[in-house]
Parts: sequence; structure tokens; C-alpha cells
Amino acid sequence: MTQASHSQEATVIAPPIDVRSVSKWFGNVVAVNDVSLQVNPGITGLLGPNGAGKTTLLHMIAGLAKPSEGEVKLLGEPVRDNPQLYHRVGFMSEHESVYGFLTGREFVELAARLYGLEPLSPPVDRAIELVGLTDVQGRTLSTYSRGMRQRMRLAATLVHDLEVLLLDEPLNGTDPRQRIEFQNLMRKLASEGRTILISSHILEEVELLAGSILLMVSGKLAASGDFHAIRAKLDERPYKVRIVSSDSRAMAAALVRLDAVDSVSIDAEGAVEIMTRNVSDLQRSVPRLAQEQHIRLLRVEPLDESLESVFSYLVER
Amino acid sequence: MLVLLRISVRQLASRSRLILILLLALLPVGLAALVSATLNEDSTSNGEFISTLLDGLLIAGILPIVTMVLATASFGNELEDRTLSYIVLKPVPRWLIVLPKLLASIIVGGLVLIASGVVATLLGASSLGAVLLVLDGNLQATLAVGLALFAGVVTYAAIFTWAGLVSTRAIAFALVYVFLWEGLISSFLGGVRYLSVRGYTLSILHGLDDKSFGPLGERVIEFPAALVGAAVTTAVFFWLTVRRLRRMDVP
Repeated sequence: MTQASHSQEATVIAPPIDVRSVSKWFGNVVAVNDVSLQVNPGITGLLGPNGAGKTTLLHMIAGLAKPSEGEVKLLGEPVRDNPQLYHRVGFMSEHESVYGFLTGREFVELAARLYGLEPLSPPVDRAIELVGLTDVQGRTLSTYSRGMRQRMRLAATLVHDLEVLLLDEPLNGTDPRQRIEFQNLMRKLASEGRTILISSHILEEVELLAGSILLMVSGKLAASGDFHAIRAKLDERPYKVRIVSSDSRAMAAALVRLDAVDSVSIDAEGAVEIMTRNVSDLQRSVPRLAQEQHIRLLRVEPLDESLESVFSYLVER
Repeated sequence: MLVLLRISVRQLASRSRLILILLLALLPVGLAALVSATLNEDSTSNGEFISTLLDGLLIAGILPIVTMVLATASFGNELEDRTLSYIVLKPVPRWLIVLPKLLASIIVGGLVLIASGVVATLLGASSLGAVLLVLDGNLQATLAVGLALFAGVVTYAAIFTWAGLVSTRAIAFALVYVFLWEGLISSFLGGVRYLSVRGYTLSILHGLDDKSFGPLGERVIEFPAALVGAAVTTAVFFWLTVRRLRRMDVP
């Protein structure tokens, strides 16, 4: 091997977050199933409905949980049993519990001390100011509102100079103004070259922030890449929907005329099953059709198990 | 490490826990005071009373219970309320997390238990009271009680800190261990005393002052064996706790 190729190999930079064939199961329950992904500097959203496996995946990326299979590397190093790596990484979990007997400032100072920061005051002051809680830093955390606790936890996460930031549902409990401030802060941190991975089950939270997303459904990585491209793909996906009504045949006849419907059939129990690629149109049309035909709708449900969550998720928007 | 020690002590020293510990610690003191007021000047019967009080009540009962309440909570509480991640996701070697947790239990429990044991011994040893006893040259007995209880607290704390990290039902495990192994089995099977924290504590007490605690002679093992046993048990469970913290999934 030539010296030049040696040097070329050395300059290949590993992605800050590198997850390879990772699975995690608890007894018979598979929480994360063979997920591989790389996250580069900038803001990436980890999106998926509740129970999709986002938190378990984030815990494995942060080193809190050991993968049942596969490996996770942060900044090119194995994350498990590697505490020195946390000098460069910050993680904020979705659990909102804190040491209630500490003041907000003491809580941030605790983090700063454990990171070995010296002198202590400048980074602590800066972090608390960043989240806008300077005025209440002397109050015990038990007296904070949910949103304030969340912000002080963020201050403790940001107290050191990190390269990778992992945030699990960081906007829980925050109000619209705080969300905007949070988005501005994340954009600023990302513009400084940091890698930020934010999980959320709310599309709008990620939509405004992340250029690329990782979409998890039922423990699997369903899609990854550019946010708008994935969203378009999701909208184009055919969905199987079951409709139980007071008159299935009349309902089927009405549905087959809709552009949003690809196919219509009646199952063994007499319910209508349809395939659609346009969930939002269907969502609007079905109640209108039922009303026009004087049919009573009893139940509308997605049938494809693996897509159920995604379906509900899109329909709920 | 100091910051973790401070926070661990504050976590453990909750009002309800302190009240429970103080009430338990006052039991032997109250009993000793009561008996010392009624006993005669017969030093033999006083010695027997102190030995029974220390072994039967303090070392076999209150010492493991108090240490259990504290040490199982030192990690157990943080696992339960999911605050442990604030500590483990920091660039701190795992042993430097375990050590302050262990020390916190020893400080909070040890101070109270040693004070209880020493005061009970002073009161029970002489109907004339503590000051006279110390002046009388019996300082050795109080030192022996203090050091033996310290060894007991440290050893139990190491075992129960590990239990608190391993199981969410650490208290149940600890109760079974204390009453079955330390209380019942080690009382009847002499060989078990070599693997019993109660056996180590009693033997250290007797080894440091066999004159004052003569009645314990039938229930002890060799003094060096007790010292080594307590040290090895502490070291092994400390290592197991560090190992567990490195390998476990933190909620």
C-alpha cells in the first residue's frame, strides 16, 4: 500500500453516529429489529409513533442499553463501557424525573462537575442563560413546571462543549414560544458543526427542524433520508383500510367511484376492505359519502399491522 | 467524587428514612438505659447483658436492617425514578460512581449505628453512667464496639448496594438474607460464621476486647479470619457492583 493511500485511508472520517445491524429484544418482545443507520453533522429527526422503538434505539446509541445484536459507534468509538466518550456527547432522556431537592443551578453544576469543567461558573451561567432560566436558577427543581424542568435538563446537557447531542422527545411539556426558542438553539448548535439527533412522535416538531429523518415503525427503520421525499413516499404508499358500516354493499358501491380508492372488496364478515394511496382524501370522503348514502359508519380501521401506526400517525395529522 | 458523595448523602438522608433509622437506633440505647437503672453492680451480669444487647438486638437485627434500608436505596431509588442516567452518562469511571454511593450508606448509617452501639455499651456497662466508665479505663470496650459496628456497616453496605443495583426487589432479597442466613442458619451451623457478616462483626468485637465481651466467645471465629472475611466480602461485592454498573441497561 502506498503512503498516499495510507494517508487517504486515515482521512476517511467515520459518521458521528454509526449503528450497524442493531437489534434489541426484551424476552419475546423485539423492540428494535436489525437497524442500521449513519447520522452526519446537522439535525436529524428520529420519527415514529409511540412504541416504535425510538427510545430503545436512542438508549443504545447513548450507551445506556446494550444491543442484543449489532454494534453502535459514536465518533468512531464503541459507546458501551467507554465513559470517556461522554466528554464529547450529550444525551437528554424523555424521562422527566430530576433530583427534586436540588436547585436548578445545583443540577447544572452537578453535570458540569461530573464533566470535569473548571472553572465552573462560566459554563453553568452560559447554559442556564441559553435556556432562559437565569431568574429561577435558585429555586428547587421540585417547584418547577414541567416545561421549566425540561429546559433545565437541556441546560445540564448543554453545559459542556459536545460534538454529538441526542435528545429524546425534548419538546414534551414546552409551550409554543419555548419550541421556537428550542428550534433556534438547535439550528445554532447544528450550524457550529454538531451532530444532533432528535426523536419525536410529532411530525410538526421535526418538520420545522430536521433536514433529514429516520422513520421507525414497529422496531424497524422504515425509511431514512430527506424529510420531504420520505413524506411524499408515505403519502403514496397503498394502505388497506377496513370499513364496517350499516350497509356494506352500498358503501362499497359509493367508495369505488372515489379517485382515492384503488380497489374495493367485501370480506367474510361483510365489511368493506379498500386499498388507497391517498389517506387524507379518503379520510375526508368516507364520512361525506356515508352521510349522502344514509349509511351509518361503525368502524374505520387500518388493516396492515406493520403500517397501522404510520397510518394512524398520518391520519391524525 | 465529592459531588457524588454529597448528592448521595442528601438522597439517602430523607426525613422519613432518618426518622426510621433514629427510632431503630434508639432502641438499644433505651433498653440499656432502662436496664442500667435497675441492674446491680454485678459486672458479670452487666457484661452478659451488653453482649446480649449488642449481639441479639444491634448486630443481628438493627445493624443489617438500617444498612439494608440505606444501601439498597443508594442505587435502587435512582433506578426507580430513572435519574441514574444523569450520572452514568458522564465521563466518570464506574468505580468512582459506586464508591460514593457505598460511602454515603456507610456515613449515614454508620454514624447512627456506631453512636447507638457506643452509647448503649456505656450505659449498660455501668449503673454509674458513661463518664465514669470511660474514666474507669474501659475505653477499649467502646472502641471495640465502634470498630466492630463500622466493619459490619461497611460489609453489609457493600452487599446491599450490589443488591439494590441487581434487583428491583432488593429489600425482599435482603430481608431473606438477613433473617435466614445471618439470623437462623449462622446461629445453628458454626461453619457458616466464616461466611456471615454477623459472625465477622461479633468476632471483631470479641477480638478487640475479649475481656469485656467474654460471653460472645462461643459464637465467634478467629479474629484475623473475621478481619479478612469482612475485607474480602466488601471487596468482592464492590467489584460485583462496578461490574454490574458497567454491563447493565440503565433505564
